[in-house]
Amino acid sequence: MTAAALYGNFFYSIYDYREYLKESVFRDLRKKYKRSSLGYLWSMLNPLLMMIILTVVFSSLMKGRVENYSVFLFSALLPWTYFNGTVKSCIGTIRQNAKILDQLPIPKYIFSVSSSFYNFVDLFLAFVPLLLVMLFTGHPIHSTIIIFPLMLIPLFFFSMGLGLLLAVSNVFFEDTAHLTDVLLRAMYFLCPILYNRDMLPPWLVKYVVLNPMFGIIEGIRQLLYFGTLPNLETFLFNLAGSVLVLGLGLYAFNKADDKFVYFI
Amino acid sequence: MSASPANLVENQNTQAVGFDQAAEPGVANAVEISNVTVAYRSYKERPTTLKETVIGAIKHRKFRYYETFNALSNVTFNIPKGQVFGIIGSNGAGKSTLLKVIAGVLPPTRGTVKVNGSVDSLIQLGAGFDAELNAIENIYLSGALHKKPRAEIKRRIPEILEFAELEDFATTPIKYYSSGMFARLGFAVAADRNPDVLLVDEVLGVGDERFRKKCEKVFESFLASGNTIVIVSHSLGNLSSMADQIGLLSRGEFTYIGDPATAIERYRAQDYKTRLTQNNS
Ligand SMILES: Nc1ncnc2c1ncn2[C@@H]1O[C@H](COP(=O)(O)OP(=O)(O)OP(=O)(O)O)[C@@H](O)[C@H]1O
Ligand SMILES: [Mg+2]
Repeated sequence: MTAAALYGNFFYSIYDYREYLKESVFRDLRKKYKRSSLGYLWSMLNPLLMMIILTVVFSSLMKGRVENYSVFLFSALLPWTYFNGTVKSCIGTIRQNAKILDQLPIPKYIFSVSSSFYNFVDLFLAFVPLLLVMLFTGHPIHSTIIIFPLMLIPLFFFSMGLGLLLAVSNVFFEDTAHLTDVLLRAMYFLCPILYNRDMLPPWLVKYVVLNPMFGIIEGIRQLLYFGTLPNLETFLFNLAGSVLVLGLGLYAFNKADDKFVYFI
Repeated sequence: MSASPANLVENQNTQAVGFDQAAEPGVANAVEISNVTVAYRSYKERPTTLKETVIGAIKHRKFRYYETFNALSNVTFNIPKGQVFGIIGSNGAGKSTLLKVIAGVLPPTRGTVKVNGSVDSLIQLGAGFDAELNAIENIYLSGALHKKPRAEIKRRIPEILEFAELEDFATTPIKYYSSGMFARLGFAVAADRNPDVLLVDEVLGVGDERFRKKCEKVFESFLASGNTIVIVSHSLGNLSSMADQIGLLSRGEFTYIGDPATAIERYRAQDYKTRLTQNNS
């Protein structure tokens, strides 16, 4: 299958299964909030608490280097939390839905897409506390915020791609979830979340920027915190990298598609 | 079709060749299977982690951990539209595998499968259900999985609940259902989709007598509208009264296809023979 066909099928499946995606995203939300009395507030409190803890710990370390560390941090935590949540929930999707896949011929990545969309809801809910923190700390809300949705494209592609690769791996290898934990922890520190690019030694920057997630997070922080536009070249590089990673994920899925049924 | 195993093959070959011409009115096939082989891999000591795989590859230069064996070998047959086609055979004969091939979830290693129209499975009842959700939410979810728009599902809900006799439990999470209630909901939801070809695998055992009668009624009305049922069962009595034809599957091959009474007779004879050999050894 050509790359165009892989991508074509992927987006067509999303369209074709829009009813299911809608239904399952709402189901996941309902399930998540059924038992907690705080309801949807939890999605907003969670990143807020995370930010407060990290701010308390790191703002003194960053003394004087960053102004308004809480917004600095929060703007980067937003895409990271989405990425982390999507990748983690993608891993188990094939095994969890084995019963369905055993009798219904449907595109198997649809469950991973559903996890990704579900995490988008959390991302948007987390925007509320971010704006509150900005207002509260007197941080200007820059007009560059309107570019934000554009940054979601590489973010979606990259998270989805890595999620699919790991979901395939998980069908064959039981230790995939452990390896993912290690991978995500390493990535957390290799992305500009707690720090900024200028705080890294230049020799290291050369390598870490190869990770599309680095540029995506950096770009989102530029839009929300600094109020500047990300460099177009960097944006295109990260977009291309993300498209490639999703392409790899789709390729792996397609390649393993016939074999899943023997393993699950 | 009442053929002995010897001329069965011949009979089917002529059919197989004549697929394209066989489009005379009234004898259209719902399912056409030709030369289907399914090779499963049976893994011996397969490493289940990436770590072990890498170690195996480096230390022992071992990459292949499986032997293949054919769950279906070279199966060829047609199911005419509007029939109840029964499949019998001992455990591990390949019945469920054959249904999965027809359902389109298991691509055959060799051969072709053609289904005319939509196909739906009652292989595991309520496969798409979520235990945390109630009946209504699950009906929506499972309808959406079959690409049904929400408005259309909404219209069908009262009827589905009525058929399943679960109106009083409609808002109870289904994890609190008894297995019979669960099966009733699963059956009601699947029956409501009204596919052209319905695949049934050993699922009618769970409901009580009254519900089984109801299921049979559904099958009847289903057949009356010209649809086809492929049913795998070990309850030979029920099957012989329902089926138009029965195929006897033995170690991945059909040894007989045709008249239900004959198929069952041969199955029993075959069973008896295996038991004899087992006792002697
Ligand atoms: N995923 C799989 N991997 C390897 N072998 C399998 C797999 N699924 C089934 N088999 C084997 O294929 C053969 C046929 O299995 P199948 O489930 O089709 O039997 P069956 O006729 O439905 O039996 P039963 O009456 O017990 O339901 C069996 O020997 C089984 O062990
Ligand atoms: Mg079976």
